[in-house]
Amino acid sequence: MNLLIGLAMGLNLVALASSRLPSVIRAAAFQGMILGTLPWLLEEDFHWMVVAVGLGTVMVKGFIIPNLLRRALRAANIDREVEPLLGFVPSLLLGAMATVGAAALPNELPLLHGHAQTLLVPGAFATVVCGFILLIARTKAISQVCGYLILENGIYLFGLLLINTTPLLVEAGILLDLTVAIFVIGIIVDRIQREFDTLDTRKLNTLRE
Amino acid sequence: MTPGWLLLLAGAGLAAGIFSAFKSPRLWLVTTLIGAGAAFAAAVLMLASGVTWDWRPGFVIGGEALHLQLDGLSAFFLVLLSVLGGAGTLYSSEYWSDKAHPDSAPAGRAWWNALLLNMGCVLLCANGLHFLIVWEIFTVCAYFLITRERQRPATRAAGWLYLASSHVAMIFLFAFFALLAARTGSWELGPMRGHPELAPLFWLALIGFGLKAGIFPMHIWLPSAHANAPSHVSAILSGMAIKMGIYGLVRFTGWLPVPPSAGWVVAALGVTSAVLGVAFALGQHDLKRLLAYHSVENIGIILIGLGFAMIAVSHGNAAWGQLALAGGLLHVWNHGLFKALLFLGAGSVLHATGTREMSRLGGLWRAMPWTASLFALGATAIAGLPPLNGFVSEWLVYLGLFDAVSGRGHAAIAAIVAAMALGVTGALALACFVKVCGVVFLGLPRHEIAPHVHECGWRMRLPMLVIGVACVVIGLAPILFWPALATAAAAWQPELANSIPPAPLVTLGAFHLALAALVILAAAFLWRRVRRNGLSRAGTWDCGYAAPTARMQYTAGSFAGIITGWFDWILRPQRHEQPPGGNFPARAGFEEHTPETVLEKIIEPAGSLVLRLSLAVRHLQHGRVQSYIFYLLLGLAALAILAVMGGAK
Repeated sequence: MNLLIGLAMGLNLVALASSRLPSVIRAAAFQGMILGTLPWLLEEDFHWMVVAVGLGTVMVKGFIIPNLLRRALRAANIDREVEPLLGFVPSLLLGAMATVGAAALPNELPLLHGHAQTLLVPGAFATVVCGFILLIARTKAISQVCGYLILENGIYLFGLLLINTTPLLVEAGILLDLTVAIFVIGIIVDRIQREFDTLDTRKLNTLRE
Repeated sequence: MTPGWLLLLAGAGLAAGIFSAFKSPRLWLVTTLIGAGAAFAAAVLMLASGVTWDWRPGFVIGGEALHLQLDGLSAFFLVLLSVLGGAGTLYSSEYWSDKAHPDSAPAGRAWWNALLLNMGCVLLCANGLHFLIVWEIFTVCAYFLITRERQRPATRAAGWLYLASSHVAMIFLFAFFALLAARTGSWELGPMRGHPELAPLFWLALIGFGLKAGIFPMHIWLPSAHANAPSHVSAILSGMAIKMGIYGLVRFTGWLPVPPSAGWVVAALGVTSAVLGVAFALGQHDLKRLLAYHSVENIGIILIGLGFAMIAVSHGNAAWGQLALAGGLLHVWNHGLFKALLFLGAGSVLHATGTREMSRLGGLWRAMPWTASLFALGATAIAGLPPLNGFVSEWLVYLGLFDAVSGRGHAAIAAIVAAMALGVTGALALACFVKVCGVVFLGLPRHEIAPHVHECGWRMRLPMLVIGVACVVIGLAPILFWPALATAAAAWQPELANSIPPAPLVTLGAFHLALAALVILAAAFLWRRVRRNGLSRAGTWDCGYAAPTARMQYTAGSFAGIITGWFDWILRPQRHEQPPGGNFPARAGFEEHTPETVLEKIIEPAGSLVLRLSLAVRHLQHGRVQSYIFYLLLGLAALAILAVMGGAK
């Protein structure tokens, strides 16, 4: 399990480092799939609901959302460049620092003994921070959606801590929300592109007041 | 009739005036004058009988039961309010007539009545919440009166400054009354000397009421507001509205305990206001601005009296405290009277010539003998010359200070300093009014001002005459007014009650009468000589220069030049000189302007700094989503750090 979470943390850095939108989407999708499989490993006794939710997560995060994003990419004729506000190397460095910091963090927090042993908490922190960095340091709407996805993945990881107490229905609900949100963003992106010929969020600031 | 019915009549008259202000100026004039007269009668009745009128009708307004009270102190101020209100009412019916100001006159009349009504209510309210409400309404009414000529940018700026400073004062008063109510558990006001924990609230009251009273350096709103308001409004502002600040200070230093240093601070503020107020006045070229700075000066004199009375009370030495307090209180009346007279006179000059700029005036006494003589009377009174009322109140303050000197300790030293400052103030005020009277009324006209310079009509003349007579009566027979002073002082501090006039006051009255008789005799003698021998007019000796013009007379700036030179460090006058050069000088010029130093050198830079900082903060709001998320992250991180550090504890 720690291996999988470590992989997810690695994918954060991949998403930060890649200069092309499809690869960012791919990294986010792959991370979502990995995390989707985690409930199967965490739950001791087999339950069909867990299997269904895990499967649903993998399907939605790994296939449906990326496909929606790619369609938006195609339909809106977006350049595949990421256009960073913050260069790749600095954002990578920040991501790495966040990961290291997150690894050191559990010592500071009053965690349950069982949780302190796993990479669950550091992984969740690192993913959330990297999601934020992606949100802050990229200009295109699509890459922001990816940042949002990664952020959500981090929160999902946190949620896994409570998997024994949270009703799975809630998890399913969150997943549904996310899908709808991405769906809506995909449509909006398309509309914005048609209306203003740009998806650069730096130029979409006339409604700020 | 009892004071209650008279006050009801006064309220009804003023309220009826508000409603008739738009339709019928005549009805407005009658009802308002009846209202002012009734208020005057009620106040005099109270002062004469010494019986406090207390009324709890059982109405509840804003959750608090209405409680009105007319005691010695309120009645003392109510007398002044009704006299000045009545005089201003009659004056404005000609000065700000419908014919001259069709747009602003009707609303001006309504605001005028609302102002008088609410100032009266402030004097009567004995409930903190209601006090705040009527105080705020009176402040706002005054704003609308100041901005009657709102088409002029200077007036708008003055109004804005007044409103802003009034609301700063209001914040402090809110804090004062709210804390008072919180600590006593009730909004009811009354004597609460037995609660020493209330003493620190005095500082809030000092700032709140001090801003209203125009104590230096909190006087910043005062000069421009007084200068730009219509003259009858300037008169009531200077005569009464700033006295409301004094009323608040006297009222609450009487009812509440004060910190030990309060008297010293008040006296020090008084000395500062008195000396610097008159110094600033000397630097002014605008007739009404100059008078406004004299309000700062006279507020200072009142505060010297009040401050030393407070020191005396805290030392348990009532004898000289009573004199100082009586002087301060009588100066409230006196300043109200002669300053109103001067503002009404200045209004008459402005009405006739259309300018407040002293350097454009000159030689007006030929055209306006009544205005000139009454203005000169007011000037004599404000300069503190016998035998007029200004000297009586300053004399009482001096007596208090001299008695304090004969004692021991810090109070004696402070009293010496204050007495010297008071003397300097009187001398400078005299210089200043010699300048005003000389430049405006004597000499020759400097400019071809409108050829129809004329004396004002009887409705403007009569109020000035009435106030002038009041000044003379207080000057000649100060004993008559001692019972009123004693009643007011007893309302402030019961142990200061003393119904026997002090001996020096009796002597002073006799001296003034003798002096007045002497002056009249001398005048009659001169008049006879003039009648017998006739007058011959000759040119002023002009050092052999062949072609003198009226422009070569002393100007206001040159007359006061030496004295303002002494105060350059605080006045900071801006001079633009173009001295004549060469054997045949072509052009030369000299221009001097005295800014409002506190406002322009301290308040405005501070304000623009705050504005710059605020604008810098506004850059955070730029519409870039990424940065907003970054702020979010920073906020989260800060919260996390706080949580972790809190957890570590």
